[in-house]
Amino acid sequence: MDRYEKLKILADSAKYDVSCSTSGVRRSNGGKIGNTCAAGICHSWSADGRCISLLKVLFTNRCVYDCVYCVNRRTADCVRASFEPRELADLTIEFYRRNYIEGLFLSSAVEVSPDYTAERILQCLSILRYEYEFAGYIHAKIIPGASQELVEQLGFVADRLSVNIELPTEKDLKLLAPQKKADAIFRPMKQITNTLIEHKRLIGPGIMFKGQHLNTEAHYIKGNDFMLEDSSVQKEARLRFLTPVSPEEREMRVKMQREIAAAGGNKETDKINIEKEHEHTASGDIYVLEERNRHKKVFAPAGQTTQMIVGAGNETDRQILKLSESLYRTFKMKRVFFSAYIPVSDSPLLPDKSVAPPLSREHRIYQADWLLRFYGFRADELLNEKHPFLDIEMDPKISWALRHIGRFPVEVNKASFEELLRIPGIGTTSAYRILRQRRVASVRYEDLKKMGVVLKRAKYFLTCSGKYYGLASLDPEEIRRELLENTQEKQLSMFAVPALQR
Amino acid sequence: MAEYFYDGTFEGFLCCVYAHYYKEKATAIFLRGGLQQMTFLDTAIEIETDAKQADVVYRAIEKKISAFDLERAYRIFLADDPQKEMILLNYLRLGFLKGSSISQYHGSEIVRAAEKLEKKVTFEAHRLMGLLRFSVLEDEILYAELAPDHNILTLIAPHFSDRYKNNPFIIHDLRRSKAVIAAGGHWYLSEFMKKELTKEYHRKEMEYRKLWKKYFENIAIKERTNLRCQKNFMPVRYWEHLTEMKEETEE
Repeated sequence: MDRYEKLKILADSAKYDVSCSTSGVRRSNGGKIGNTCAAGICHSWSADGRCISLLKVLFTNRCVYDCVYCVNRRTADCVRASFEPRELADLTIEFYRRNYIEGLFLSSAVEVSPDYTAERILQCLSILRYEYEFAGYIHAKIIPGASQELVEQLGFVADRLSVNIELPTEKDLKLLAPQKKADAIFRPMKQITNTLIEHKRLIGPGIMFKGQHLNTEAHYIKGNDFMLEDSSVQKEARLRFLTPVSPEEREMRVKMQREIAAAGGNKETDKINIEKEHEHTASGDIYVLEERNRHKKVFAPAGQTTQMIVGAGNETDRQILKLSESLYRTFKMKRVFFSAYIPVSDSPLLPDKSVAPPLSREHRIYQADWLLRFYGFRADELLNEKHPFLDIEMDPKISWALRHIGRFPVEVNKASFEELLRIPGIGTTSAYRILRQRRVASVRYEDLKKMGVVLKRAKYFLTCSGKYYGLASLDPEEIRRELLENTQEKQLSMFAVPALQR
Repeated sequence: MAEYFYDGTFEGFLCCVYAHYYKEKATAIFLRGGLQQMTFLDTAIEIETDAKQADVVYRAIEKKISAFDLERAYRIFLADDPQKEMILLNYLRLGFLKGSSISQYHGSEIVRAAEKLEKKVTFEAHRLMGLLRFSVLEDEILYAELAPDHNILTLIAPHFSDRYKNNPFIIHDLRRSKAVIAAGGHWYLSEFMKKELTKEYHRKEMEYRKLWKKYFENIAIKERTNLRCQKNFMPVRYWEHLTEMKEETEE
C-alpha cells in the first residue's frame, strides 16, 4: 500500500478526534527544527470549518475492540492500514518544514494490545524528538490499559496527553464500549495529573485556579477520588486504581528528578529557568520553556485533555457539564472536548443514521464549558435536576442572567471583575478594558461599544453612571422576547444545521 | 497649518512628528509621489528624513509615553491604510499629554482608531504564520510567496527564523517586492523580484503537495460541511498562495 492510501485511510479514521489545539506551551528552537507558540497557531480550515493545525492521524486502524459508535470497530467493514514509525516521522517533518502543520497529533486503534500500540507510538515520537530533534508540538493519545511506564515515557516526548473518556455515563460505556473500563480510563488520567504535580508543572484549566498553588500534596489524586456519577464502584469495591505513593516515596522521586536535571545542566541556570517558566496571561497560565534540553526531561508541559461524545447515549446536558466540571476540579485538565455524535453504525443501540448530528446542542455545551473555565460559573448554577438541558434558543449566560434577574442591573463603574464577567455581552477582554479605563477615567455608555461590549445583549443588564438603557421594566419574559426577536434572523443563518450529504 | 509630504519610511514619519512640534502643525500627511487629493487650502511642506530628528522623536516616545507604545506605533505604521499617519500622529500627540496611561483610554476615539488599526496588522501577521506555505527548492532552500494586506514581513520573520534554524528560507511579499532572507537563525529584509529566483523545485515537492491535499480532503467530516465557516477563517484572498486551495498547474 502506498503513502497516499495510508494517509487517506488513517486521516479519515482520525477525523472524529476533536482536539487540534496547539496552545499552552512556548518553546524556542533548541534542536534543529521547530518551536511552539503559547497561543497556538491554526494552519488551515477544512470544508467543515474546523481548523487544521496538527497532522492528525491514527497510527493504525486495526482494532481488537468493538465499540459500537466507532468507525474503526473490529466488526466494521473497512480497509485497514498502519504506519511504520519512521515513515510517519518523516512525513511529519516534510509537512512541518512546508509550514502545513504545527506538529503531530497521534492517536491509534488498539492493535494486538494497549501496550503494543503505545510502544509503537512511543517509537515514532522518539524518532521525532531525539533523532530529528523536532521541537514542534506533539499531542499523544493515551490508550486506556497501557502500562504506567509507557504513559510516563510518552509524557516526556509529548507536549500534551489525552485519554478519551468517550461517554459521560458508566451505563452507556458498558453498553456501547463493553471492552473499555471506566477504571482503565481514569487510571492514566490520575497518573498524568500526579506526575505533573511531582514535576511542579500542573496549571489547570482557564482561570479556574488562578492564583492558587496546585502543585501541592492537597491536589494529589488518591484511590477513589474520582468516579462517574452512576459508577458502581462502591457496590463492587473491586476496581483497582493507581496505588497512592507515600509522601516519603514521592519526596525521593522528586529528589531524583532534580538530580537528573542537575546532572544534565547548570544548577544555577536551571533555577532561573524554573522561576522564569511560570507566566500569567489573560487566557490562563502557560509554561514558557527556554528550549527542549535533551538532558532536562519535561513532562507534558501543555497538560492533559479529554473528549466525550454528545448524543450517542441518553445523557443529559447536566450530566455532561457536571462530569466536565469534576474533570476540571479533580484532574485540573486543560480542556474537555465534546463531539456531536455522527451516525456511523446501524446498531439499534445508537441513533438512526438519518438523524442529523446535534450540532446546536454541542455548540451550547461548549458555551457552557467556557463559562466554567473562564467566567467563574459552576455547573449547578447553569443547570439543575428540574432543568437538565441547556436552552437551544439562547446562550447559557443569558439564560442564567434571566433566571437571576434580581442580581441585575450591575453598575459598570463599580462592579468587580467577577461581577462584570457575569453580564451577558461582556467577555474577558471587555471586562479587562473596563477595569483599565476606570483607573484613569469613568466609563461612559458610548465607550462600552468601543471596548467590545455587545450592547445588544448587555444593555438590559447594566447601568452606566446610574442610568439604565434597557426596557421600561426588568421583566425577564420581556427581555427574552426582545432578545429573541433581535437575534432570530442572525441565528437562523449562523446555526443552521447543514443538510446531511449522503 | 500645512500638508506634509514624506518618503514613506518609519524614520520619515518620525520626522513628520518632529516638524509638527517644531515647525508648522500638520493637517494631513501624504506619501511623496502618491495620488492623493490635495486640498490646496494649506501650504505643502516636503519633510526630509533626518536621522537625528527621527532619533529625538523615537527616544521621546519611549521615555515620555512608553516602550509598549513605541512598539505599537511601529505596528500601526506597517498598516496599509491612507489614514495611518494621521491616526498615529493623533495617538502620539495624546500620548505626550497623558503619558504611559494613554493605552488605558479605551473609550477615546483617537485611541480606538489606533487600536483598531494595530489589531488589523497583528491579526494578519498571526494568521499568516499559519497560512504561509513553503515550497522546497532543488537545493533544500525553502521559498514562500504571499501577498498580505499589510506590510507584515518583519513581524513574522523572527518566528520563522527561529523555527527553521536548520534550513535557509525566503519569504517573498509579492505586493511589495520585498523578501525576508534567513539562514541559521538570522534574517534580513531585502528588495526581491521573482526573476531573481532561478532554482527548480525539489524532485519530491509535487509529491508532498499531493499528500497534503489528500490529507486536507480526508480530514473534513462530510456531515458537518460548513463552507461559510471555512471562508470566514480563511478568506478567499489568501487562497491563491495556499497549496491546498489551488489547482496544481506546474506539473
